[in-house]
Amino acid sequence: MRQWIEKQRYIIDFTISSLLRRKVKNFGLLALYTLIVFMLASTMFFTYSIKKEASLILKDTPEIIVQKIVAGRHDLFPVSYIDTLKKIRGVAAVESRLWGYYYDGLVSANYTLLVPPANGDTSGKSRPSAKTTVVVSESGGQQADKSKPLFELGGAVLEPGTLITGNGIARLRDIGKDDYMPFRAFDGSVLNLRIAGALSSQSELVSSDLLLITAEDFRKLFGIDNRYVTDVTVAVNNPSEVEMVASKIRKALPEARPISRVEILRTYDSIFNWRGGMMIVIFSAAVLAFVIFAWDKASGLSAGERREIGILKAVGWETSDVIQMKFWEGAVVSLTAFFTGVILAYVHVFFTGSIVFEPALKGWSSLYPNFELTPFVNLEQLTTLFFLTVVPYTVATIVPIWRAATIDPDSAMRFTGE
Amino acid sequence: MRYSSLFFLYITGGLVLLVLLLVHASFSESARQPVLEEKAALVKMLKLTDLCLFTEARYTRNLSQADLGTAFQDHPMSLEHFPSGSFTQPPESIRKFP
Amino acid sequence: MIELMNVKKVFNAGNPSEFPALNSVNLTIEENRVTVLKGPSGSGKTTLLSIVACMSRPSAGRVKLKGREITSLPERFLTDIRRKTFGFIFQQPNLIKGISVLDNVMLPAYPLGEQRLHLKVKAMKGLAELNIANKAASKVEWLSGGEAQRASIVRALINDPHIIIADEPTAHLDTKLSYRFMEIIEKFKAEGKTVIITSHDPLVFESSMVDRVVNLRDGRIEDKPA
Repeated sequence: MRQWIEKQRYIIDFTISSLLRRKVKNFGLLALYTLIVFMLASTMFFTYSIKKEASLILKDTPEIIVQKIVAGRHDLFPVSYIDTLKKIRGVAAVESRLWGYYYDGLVSANYTLLVPPANGDTSGKSRPSAKTTVVVSESGGQQADKSKPLFELGGAVLEPGTLITGNGIARLRDIGKDDYMPFRAFDGSVLNLRIAGALSSQSELVSSDLLLITAEDFRKLFGIDNRYVTDVTVAVNNPSEVEMVASKIRKALPEARPISRVEILRTYDSIFNWRGGMMIVIFSAAVLAFVIFAWDKASGLSAGERREIGILKAVGWETSDVIQMKFWEGAVVSLTAFFTGVILAYVHVFFTGSIVFEPALKGWSSLYPNFELTPFVNLEQLTTLFFLTVVPYTVATIVPIWRAATIDPDSAMRFTGE
Repeated sequence: MRYSSLFFLYITGGLVLLVLLLVHASFSESARQPVLEEKAALVKMLKLTDLCLFTEARYTRNLSQADLGTAFQDHPMSLEHFPSGSFTQPPESIRKFP
Repeated sequence: MIELMNVKKVFNAGNPSEFPALNSVNLTIEENRVTVLKGPSGSGKTTLLSIVACMSRPSAGRVKLKGREITSLPERFLTDIRRKTFGFIFQQPNLIKGISVLDNVMLPAYPLGEQRLHLKVKAMKGLAELNIANKAASKVEWLSGGEAQRASIVRALINDPHIIIADEPTAHLDTKLSYRFMEIIEKFKAEGKTVIITSHDPLVFESSMVDRVVNLRDGRIEDKPA
C-alpha cells in the first residue's frame, strides 16, 4: 500500500512537471476549463436557487385565477360573472383583483399597479401568516366605506390619494414616504398621489415594481367602470378538485381562461430551463469546448509525447504506468478546474449577486429587482457537476493513450535526432 | 515541496472550502427563512402570481398570466423578447401539445 | 547468462515491404563479460539488442535469461524483468526535457514506489560517481553532450541492474569522451556486471576490456571474427 501510494505520488510529480513544461498551453487550458466549470456551476446554482425560491414564495398564490379573453387578448372581467362562478360546486370563495401596468416615461420603466385585497386572508383557511409585518384592516368588501383605510402595511395606511411603492421604484425614482408621484390618467388629467410607505427591500423579488393603490384611484387612473375588474381569484373547498373546478369554470364561462396554481408553479419550475435560449447558448458553448478538448486529446499524441512515452517504456515503465500517468494528467487538470470553478461560482452567485449574469438577466428592463438569493445548494448538484466536467475530461485524456500501448519500448533506441 | 504534495494540498483546501460553503449555504438557508416567509406572506396577501424578474413587458413580468393568443407578441417562449424571453418557457397550459 | 536460440525477427510481416532483420541467430552471452555486437548499419545489431533486452519479441526462436524462457512471458512480466535486470544507455541520451537531471535519473525507479528519500540518496550517489552531482538540479537542456550521456548512464544504473545494454554509445561522443565512456564500462565490469554494447566504432571493439566481439551482417552472425 505504501509502495502504491509512493508510486502514485511519483507519477503525479512527473505528470505535473510535464504539464508545467508546456506552461502557456496548459495554463490556457486550465483557465478555459475553469471558466466552463464556473459558467456551468453559476448557471446551476442560480437556476436551482431561483426555482426553489419561487416554489417556496409562490406556494400560497391563488388556487385559480380566472381571466376573460376577448379576441385572444386578456380583457376586463365583468363583475356580474362572479355570481356565476360562485354557483359552481366546489368553489369556496371568489374575489376580484384589480391590477395593471403603468409605463413611466420619465425613467422608461413599467410599473405594476395593484389594488390590495380588502381582506388579506381570503382563502378561508385562516392560517396566521408567520412573522409578517402586514396588518390587515378590518374593513370588508371591495367598494366598502371610503372613509376607512382599506389597507395598512407596517404603519403605512393606504387611503385614497396615497400609494405604497415597491422598493425598486423608490430606488429608481429616488423617492420616499410623503413624496408625491404624478400619474397621467386615461383622460389626460394628472393624478398626484402621495407615497404612504414602501414595501420592504427584502421582498423585492416579488414586489420591486409594485405600486399599491386604492381601488378608487385605480379606476380613476385607468377609467375602469365599477362593473369590471381585471380578473378574479377562485378558492376551492378541496385542493384536489382544482382541475375539476377549472374545467367547470371553462364550461360555465366559455370565454374565461382559468389558470391554476399548479400551472403557475410549473411555469416557474421551467424557467431557466436548459432548453431556453440563453441556457442553450451557455450549455452548447460548454459542450463545444469539451468537444475541442476531447478532440485535442483524442487526435493523438504529438511526436514529442510519443517520444517521451517511448523513453518511459524503454527505461522500464509499463503500459499501465503510462496510462496511470495520463489518468493523473486528466485528474490534476480537471480537479483543479472543478474546485476553482465551483468555489468561484458560489462566490459569484451568492456573494456578488450573479454579477456576470446581471446584464443578461436585466435584459431591457430599467427596473430590476435587487435581490439576494438564498443559497439552495446540495451535494446532488455538486455530484452532477462533477460528472459533467471532471469525468468526461479525464476519460478523454486516457482514451487515446491506448494507442501509446502500441509504442514499442525499443522505439527509444531508434530515435537518431532530437 | 513536491508537486504531488502541492496538488493534494490544493485539492484538500478546495474540498474544505467547498464543505464550508455548503455549511454556509445551510446556515443562510435557515437564517433567511423569515425573509422567505415574508415574501410568501406578501404573495398570499396581495394575491400575487409571479416573480418580479423581468419587468420590461407584461408577458415577461407576469409570465403565468400572459395572454397567449395574441399574435406577434406572445410567442410561447417570447423569443422575440431577448434576452428575458430566452430564459422562460411557455406556461404549462399550452405546453401540453408537443 | 543469456541464450538466444534460432532467433528470427521479421518487420512488416506479410506486407510487400517485409524485411527480415534477423535470420536464425544463435548466441550465448556470458555473465560478467563485455560483449560487443559489431556490424554495419542495417545488420540487425539494434534489433538483436532490443530482443536481448526484452524490449521486443522475436518473430521466431527462443530467448533464455539465466535459464528461464522469457519469449513467451506476458508484457507485465517482461517489463518487470527489464526494469530489474537491464540498464539502458541509448545512442541519444534520451533524457526528458523540462525536468531536472535528478528527476530524469530517478525516472526508471518511479513505478517501483521506493521511498523518495532513499531513492534520492541513491541517485545523488550515482551522479557523484560520474562527477555531475553539481548538475542535479539543473534542467537537462543545459547539459553538455558528455554530461547528458553520463546522466543517462546514471539513469541506467538507478535500479541496480545486472546487465548494462548500450546502443552505439559513442556515436555522438568525441574521442576524449568516448575514452571516458570506456573507463566507465571498465568500472561496471569490475563491479561484476554484464555489458552488451553495439558499435561499429573501433575505439569500442578494439578496446582491451572487451571480452568478445560478435560480428553481424545481414541479420546473421559471421563465424569468423573480422
